[in-house]
Amino acid sequence: MHKVFAVIRREFVERVRTRAFLLTTLLGPLFFGGLIILPALLLSRGNTGVRVAIVDASEGEFGQRVADALGKVTVGRGEKATAKYEVTRIRSGADSKAVLDSLVPLTGLQEADGAPGFDGILVVDEDGIASGRMRYFGENVASQEDMGSLRSTLTPLVVTERLRRAGVDPTVALRATTPLGLETRKITQGKLTEESGGAVFALAYAMGIILYMALLLYGTQVMTSVIEEKSNRIIEVLVSSLTPFQMMLGKVVGVGLVSLTQISIWAGAAYLLSSNRVAIMSALGIPIPATGGLLPTMSADLLVVFLFFFVLGFLLFSSLYAAVGSMCNTIQDTQQAQFPVLMVVMVGFFSTFALLNDPSSSFAQIAGYIPPLAPFVVPVRYSLSPIPVVQLLLYAATTIIGLLAIVWVSSRIYRVGILMYGKRASVKDVARWIAAG
Amino acid sequence: MTMSENVITVDRVTKRFAGHTAVSDLSLTVPRGGIFGLLGPNGAGKSTSIRMMMNIIMPDEGRISVLGEPSASRDLSHRIGYLPEERGLYPKMRVLDQLSFLGEAKGIKRSIAREKAGAWLARLGLQDWAMKKVQDLSKGMQQKTQFIGALLHDPELVVLDEPFSGLDPVNSQVMREVVVEVARQGRTVLFSTHIMEQAEKMCDRIVIIARGKKVVDGPLADIKREFGGRHVALSFTRNAERAAPILADRRLLTRVEDHGATAEAELAEGADPENLLTSLVQAGVGLSRFEVREPSLQSIFIAKVGADATSAPASEVAHA
Repeated sequence: MHKVFAVIRREFVERVRTRAFLLTTLLGPLFFGGLIILPALLLSRGNTGVRVAIVDASEGEFGQRVADALGKVTVGRGEKATAKYEVTRIRSGADSKAVLDSLVPLTGLQEADGAPGFDGILVVDEDGIASGRMRYFGENVASQEDMGSLRSTLTPLVVTERLRRAGVDPTVALRATTPLGLETRKITQGKLTEESGGAVFALAYAMGIILYMALLLYGTQVMTSVIEEKSNRIIEVLVSSLTPFQMMLGKVVGVGLVSLTQISIWAGAAYLLSSNRVAIMSALGIPIPATGGLLPTMSADLLVVFLFFFVLGFLLFSSLYAAVGSMCNTIQDTQQAQFPVLMVVMVGFFSTFALLNDPSSSFAQIAGYIPPLAPFVVPVRYSLSPIPVVQLLLYAATTIIGLLAIVWVSSRIYRVGILMYGKRASVKDVARWIAAG
Repeated sequence: MTMSENVITVDRVTKRFAGHTAVSDLSLTVPRGGIFGLLGPNGAGKSTSIRMMMNIIMPDEGRISVLGEPSASRDLSHRIGYLPEERGLYPKMRVLDQLSFLGEAKGIKRSIAREKAGAWLARLGLQDWAMKKVQDLSKGMQQKTQFIGALLHDPELVVLDEPFSGLDPVNSQVMREVVVEVARQGRTVLFSTHIMEQAEKMCDRIVIIARGKKVVDGPLADIKREFGGRHVALSFTRNAERAAPILADRRLLTRVEDHGATAEAELAEGADPENLLTSLVQAGVGLSRFEVREPSLQSIFIAKVGADATSAPASEVAHA
């Protein structure tokens, strides 16, 4: 046990000391801070002053109403709000085509070029009102944001116009067709919580991502460090001092602790940033969006379930990664050899999406009993809907049994693999290693 | 543990790798105490034999017992120090941390390991490098560091695979002194080498293997006596080329090793060393040394292994 501890300490200390660890640990919170601030920043500084020419071939006041509505569209909030569009309305009569043709050459020109320029041309005609197909020409037609904003501004105007022409009072009709919103609050163990459905969803999603990222970042580190020990030839000294099982266990646990450390630092930073976001944003002079906090709260029991399955999952997959590393001689070898492991990680991760749709489906029930999937599936399911305690314990038990089986197989591969140089082991070789006494 | 007389017993061991036999029906015993040399040309199977003793690879046939147990089982690891032929350290680790870890892996406490590592580093002149990363050290310093790693836990059996290869004369001498001192403390040292001069100066007992088979086995003094014959060792100062026809005279000398500036040869049956000296002086050959002595290990090695080694198929030699 003392020896395993020595290996764990070596793996942990040597990794935490590296510049790479320091850098990624610091960049994480910066990235998260950016995630909070950037959208607010973008929202307040969208592009403004889009010059739109309206070619109005419609009857009545409709064209004017479109011009008014576009003129009222603003970007940003409060005092910083600025108009998004500069609207020029041109009545064309029935022959909109001639006017349109004359405007096209002006599109894209700047005022400075000596002619009135436009960024886009919106054609408003009777056809458009009847068919619901308006035409817009411009350089910014590929901008999802601009087109979306145009569409959402125009839609109610067209609807209102149609209703008016059909003799219906638009205000009555609009009130009658207001879409239904569903306000959600989660109930946990008979208690009403403050969590909305959206927050629960975000949390479940985040847990899946955290395990997935930890495995991709740190599981593969276990693999590469085994290869490094092989190519440094330090393995022979280690083998003469330690059992392969001690080496593998120490490595997997040591690297696992590094990943937990980093994730804890990130989570702590995210929590601090999120709970102080109002203060941070007002200090930076950024308008504060009305949406609630970005971080959902995590109950203590969920945290326990998550950490428990996270640890099981990490041990399970990183011992597989250790076995893969022992089979290979170079990093290039691993590209192929790690593919089966990567596939299982992906299946586990993507099965959480199926759960997000229906957390109590029979798939969700069964997946918890499959050891490589359980670390992904069980915490996500637990966060979405309650799991009976008996079932939860059964999930834990099967996962632990599966973990032990996988560690046993991995350590047998590892035991032989670490001393194999030259060619990469074939599937047949590996089967023989596992079978060998 | 039994205080058996032999610390290592290799009993009719054979090891095959794809396509060739690395070690063939090898038996040897390493008695407690003293310095044991495992000698042989490159590719003779020295490292393979040592790896089997260290339980890193398994023999296909035969048995090995170390310190009274089947091979160097991991329970014995704290009693054995091992320097593999393939040197290896963690390049990014500090020297002192590295040594502490190697000590801990052998089961000694971290604080004690650090203390001992510090003392060893000072002794081998590496004290200023204790906090440097291994990758910043020269190759010789790395080798010394790993050598310390093999001795840190005061093992009773020290197994060194080609310990002096690649070292400059000064460092080589420092490490030889350490090896001799370890043996004087009553501990057993086994080391392999293909350089006979080293073995001749240090070993009490040797085994020479060639092509995986044992060729010579026993105490060095006995081997020399049994090999027999009167040998002359010559060192030339000038006109060495004039010595060639005299050295070729089979009535005077058999088995001549002409190294250019020096030569060693066995005197022919009934030949008089004084005749040889007279002939050389008359031919105008300048001599700084003319010594009648027992055969050198080098000449025994070449006599016993030479023909064998040269007839070895190239493919086997390549598998070092």
